[in-house]
Amino acid sequence: MTEQDILTAVQDIFRDNFDDDTLVITRETCADDIEDWDSLEQINLLTAIEKKFNIKFKLADVRGLKNVGDLLDLVARMV
Amino acid sequence: MSYTYLITGATSDVGRTLIERMLRNAPDALVLAQGCGDLDKLAALCQRFPGQIRPFDVDLSDRAKVDTFMQLLDTSAPAPTHFIHLPALPVVNTKFKGFDQTRFDKDLEIEVHSAIRICRGILPAMTRAKFGRVLFIQTSYTIGCPPKNTAAYVMAKSAIGGLVKSLAVEYAKFGITVNCVAPSMMETNFLKDTPDLIVQASAADNPMGRNATPEDVVPAMAFLLSDEAGFITGVTLPVTGGSAIV
Repeated sequence: MTEQDILTAVQDIFRDNFDDDTLVITRETCADDIEDWDSLEQINLLTAIEKKFNIKFKLADVRGLKNVGDLLDLVARMV
Repeated sequence: MSYTYLITGATSDVGRTLIERMLRNAPDALVLAQGCGDLDKLAALCQRFPGQIRPFDVDLSDRAKVDTFMQLLDTSAPAPTHFIHLPALPVVNTKFKGFDQTRFDKDLEIEVHSAIRICRGILPAMTRAKFGRVLFIQTSYTIGCPPKNTAAYVMAKSAIGGLVKSLAVEYAKFGITVNCVAPSMMETNFLKDTPDLIVQASAADNPMGRNATPEDVVPAMAFLLSDEAGFITGVTLPVTGGSAIV
């Protein structure tokens, strides 16, 4: 699975979670860029990503994520 | 005086822990234990305390069945001296727009409307006896700012809080206390629909560094149910490890 494949799948999850079909994310996208992206929404995103990629995050792994790029790298290491 | 405990939601982890606590040193006590399709969870307790637990399979979301249950208790069991109301639907992490009306209705039926009907049934005997203990389980989500995406759960639990305060003042003069415990996230089967990351984050953010367990909460319940807590009524006692403070 390429990074682009992961980005596409993660973007679909973001669009679904934030109810915005036009949302475009990049490696630099962070919580400051999406109004509703708070700590609870982050967990919702991560839970959806776990389900999509059949992986299981640990809290310590996800607490330090700064942006989408960090998230994509974490997923890439686990799939 | 031998006590009769009516416990709804008795098959839950908290319910079973409470039954064990109340019967441990009370060979003359009786528990009327309501569950719904899962009475087998009481089997071990029934073996340990033979003749002291009477299980009832009742769907609390059906008002007619609740009324039939109360009629059955009225004719076949001692009047409860203690009523502990525990039932709740597992919390789902869903935005308000994601809830359907059915979910709100069911939360209210199981937690609130059943409580009203049961209280109507049991309070007259407690009033005559000039003694009674009524206890509900609320949630720390009703203290301060609740987490997002739990509207149905918080709404029903908040309604319970209003019922508790109202009943407390109305029945205080009859020696009946009505109280709540409000635990923070408790690691039980109740969390089966809650994502692991939410459970882990809750534990990490708790000042005690962990989530609550039934063994943390039941002693607080036992105190509010005790004879010595007779002057405490209308309170919500947080059992939160400091994560929610009144």
